[in-house]
Amino acid sequence: MIIAQNRFPKPDFESGYEYPFFSYQIPNETAWVVFDLVMLVLLMSIVAWAVIKRRKRKPVFWVSIVSVAYFGFFRTGCVCSIGAIQNVALALVDSSYAMPLVVLLFFVLPVLFTLLFGRVFCAGVCPFGALQELVNIKSYRLPRSVTAVLEMLPWIYLILAILFAVTRSSFIICRFDPFIGIFRLGGDIGMITVGALLLIAAVFTGRPFCRFLCPYGALLSLFSRVSIRKIKITPTCINCDLCQRACPLDAIRPPYENKVKESRVQGVKRIIIYMVVLPLMALAGAFLLQQMSGSLSRVNKNVHLYDLVVKYEQNPQDVQPLEVEVFYAQGGTLEELTGRVEKIFAEFKTASAVAGALIGLVIGFTLIGLSLKRTRKTYEIDDAACVNCGRCFSYCPQNHIIS
Amino acid sequence: MRKSILRNIAIVSAIGMITFSIMLITNYFQVRGFNPLQTEVIETLKQINDENANNIELQEQIRQLDLLARSAYFVNLDRLKLGVYILIGMLVVFVLTLRFYFAEDKQLPGKQVDPVDDWLIKTNARKYIGWAAGGLVVAALLFVFLSSPHLSSGAPDNEKPEVIAEVESSSDETQLDESPDDSTVSSESLDSLESLSSLNSSDPSSAAVTSNAFRGNNSNAVSPARSIPVKWDLASGENIAWKSDVPKHGFNSPVITGNKVFITGADDQARELYCYDLSTGKRLWTLAASNIPGSPVQMPKTTNDTGLAASTVATNGQQVCAIFATGDIICADMNGKRLWAKNLGVPQNHYGYASSLLAFGNTVIVQYDNSNTPRILAFDMATGAERWTKTRTDKITWSSPIIAYINNQPQLVLMGNPGITGYNPNNGEQLWRVDGMNGEVGASPCSAAGRVFGASEYAALIAIDATTGKQLWKADDYLPEVSSPVATKDNVYLATSYGVLACYDAKTGELKHSHELNTEFYSSPVITEGKLYLFSNDGQMFIYSTNEDFQLLHSFETGQRTFATPAFTDGKIVVRTESSLYCVSEKKS
Repeated sequence: MIIAQNRFPKPDFESGYEYPFFSYQIPNETAWVVFDLVMLVLLMSIVAWAVIKRRKRKPVFWVSIVSVAYFGFFRTGCVCSIGAIQNVALALVDSSYAMPLVVLLFFVLPVLFTLLFGRVFCAGVCPFGALQELVNIKSYRLPRSVTAVLEMLPWIYLILAILFAVTRSSFIICRFDPFIGIFRLGGDIGMITVGALLLIAAVFTGRPFCRFLCPYGALLSLFSRVSIRKIKITPTCINCDLCQRACPLDAIRPPYENKVKESRVQGVKRIIIYMVVLPLMALAGAFLLQQMSGSLSRVNKNVHLYDLVVKYEQNPQDVQPLEVEVFYAQGGTLEELTGRVEKIFAEFKTASAVAGALIGLVIGFTLIGLSLKRTRKTYEIDDAACVNCGRCFSYCPQNHIIS
Repeated sequence: MRKSILRNIAIVSAIGMITFSIMLITNYFQVRGFNPLQTEVIETLKQINDENANNIELQEQIRQLDLLARSAYFVNLDRLKLGVYILIGMLVVFVLTLRFYFAEDKQLPGKQVDPVDDWLIKTNARKYIGWAAGGLVVAALLFVFLSSPHLSSGAPDNEKPEVIAEVESSSDETQLDESPDDSTVSSESLDSLESLSSLNSSDPSSAAVTSNAFRGNNSNAVSPARSIPVKWDLASGENIAWKSDVPKHGFNSPVITGNKVFITGADDQARELYCYDLSTGKRLWTLAASNIPGSPVQMPKTTNDTGLAASTVATNGQQVCAIFATGDIICADMNGKRLWAKNLGVPQNHYGYASSLLAFGNTVIVQYDNSNTPRILAFDMATGAERWTKTRTDKITWSSPIIAYINNQPQLVLMGNPGITGYNPNNGEQLWRVDGMNGEVGASPCSAAGRVFGASEYAALIAIDATTGKQLWKADDYLPEVSSPVATKDNVYLATSYGVLACYDAKTGELKHSHELNTEFYSSPVITEGKLYLFSNDGQMFIYSTNEDFQLLHSFETGQRTFATPAFTDGKIVVRTESSLYCVSEKKS
């Protein structure tokens, strides 16, 4: 109700009615923040112990329930590591921006754990992943050739999120968070609906948000490739294929003898072509996104206001939007606003070019990755894709041997 | 039996979920963007109330409607939320029933959807990525193409950042909080309205709306000012906040920035820039345009109806610049400290130089059309450094430049003889030109909705599509001599020297209305709050509605002859008469 009152101007009363004074109770946030961090480390440690040491799924399942209950519904999904990317990005480019320590730790700790044990954060500590994990009933698979395309989306999302963060325009990861409305039992209806639809999808396929949208997951997948201790296929593997078929994220690769009919020269030639085209892709991406920078900058609130003011000044007989009314009431002038907006345009031009180049590189490197031929003699875990959920353990007939 | 029940529950909840999702999405798009307080009915009633403030019944009706609109909005939101809760509830039911349904089965994906050949998967993936990348490029190109006019407004010209950068450096710039919130907690804080409330005005006494040049901002004669009085009388003092004498004569119009009002005056002895307090009318300072290298000792000859100080000053809120018929241009800071001055060469002008200055960011633009060296000049307002200059081929004119925003991109538009010309205000590059004027061009152009209008007596009223520079139409029923036209997106209004106030269709040029008012107009009409304000030379104020009816709303004698165009800010009008300066402000009874 308080938010609602702030959204529109208060009604005019001439009867002498005095508005009540709203007092906001400030919770003891420091204690909770410390507890958040303790919970984060504790739950990640439990997952690491369960999947690396014990090779058990059950503790991960219970961690998922605790995480959804605590980080999700109780702490309402905030602070979250996914959104913290934006704070870190902004802090890196803007020395005047004071990033809270807790946000930094929420960003760094899962990275550290990933370097040590793989994506234990994604396994069940992240409330988003945990929620999808809990609702998953059947893991229908998508063709891997299709998921290879979809797996580029988190990278593009990550790049755009950083673009809007460093230009001080918007924290789009928070703004378009599909699950926060569910955790808070309210919020933007559109995003809640998207969240609900994602959950419905998660019932039938493994973690669609984590695989095809989560920008933090994309980042962690880089670190998990080089993590020190990670889940391994049991050395006594009997090639039963159960683990591979049980994995909801399709992160286990079966043995594959490379019998590609294509000649080696042809394969090398393809990779060289991609290497040559790579800078061109980056340049094309930079060019395209730079061309779009004007429109992208409309996300920035100053630019949005500028558009409203210009439109209104061109048609002053029109109804004055509330934003414009406030702008004028605060002594704003179009000249002064134009000055600010021009600076933002210039910033966007540069940042969009960099973002476009990075998107070009993502596509290029994905193509190169898909051109490499490999022979697998045993089942292998795709460390980048594996989220340490432990589903495969209970299916493995040899799991008991090492656990 | 148990499995069958579970299956049926799952199916029912799945159907329910789909139905609710469709309903919620539809409802969401209906509610999104709807502002309960800006409904047409409420706005219309408010407008009627503005015109007739004493109708208590109407005010009560507005309050009731306001309450009703707010209630309806929040009830609708609550229903949406309830719908979402039901959807989530159904999802929980669906998940649980399915879990129980499959509880006895060891869950395994039944079929391998991929071929065994890993290389084939990769080959297909490369192909799909190629298609996806191609699709992205096409979509991006299409987007760029479709939004190009919008983009061009966002992409400043090379020179523009330079102009603006200096505005930014101003010390008392108002700052919008640009930083996103300090934690991920707070995407909501980026909401525009909330962040707007963090705007801080550097000067609490400042007028909310500036009128920074002749005929207001951009010299386009439309003002965003609100709560403008519709009745006043100098003789009785009705709604007159203050009245001050002006030391020296001038036909120039007042300009307002912050709490300051600027005008100039001149005679053979001195040329002066005056600053008045908007609240009290007290003259705060006077700055003489003296000791300027090149300034003529002998004053140029001017006629009585033009004089030495016909040009209106321009300000950007940090500096104020004035120009006189001697060719002297002088700029000062807000405290009257002279920053720079120079003489542009005495203009050969048989009536006297009369073009007003124009402020564009940190640049002052001078239309210096005269019989010897017609040109446009652009100076840095703070330092006087010349930003650019452009030689003109047109004959002498007395009109003033304007800034027209075409697709949000500024264009500098000048009347000339014979051409109306659009320039890039950043570098003086000519964008378009339409010939059609002749005689003595005194009226300034105006602009609205992508069109530019220029008119002059004995020539024509010409409408130009400023995006292409093509003439749209031409009319010559009624034409102005001194008074400048003003336009809305639908209409063009002009006042003639022989007392006709005419309204043309902005799209077709058809004459919609004409009012014979039996008076003479030198002052230019200004539109604000959907009303057109116009002074006749004998000091009669005419207020017309700018809707399709173009009705006379108010007409009254103000008490003094008035040639200048008034300046508007929220709740106030500053008027220069033949001998004084006064401020109109509605007195609360």
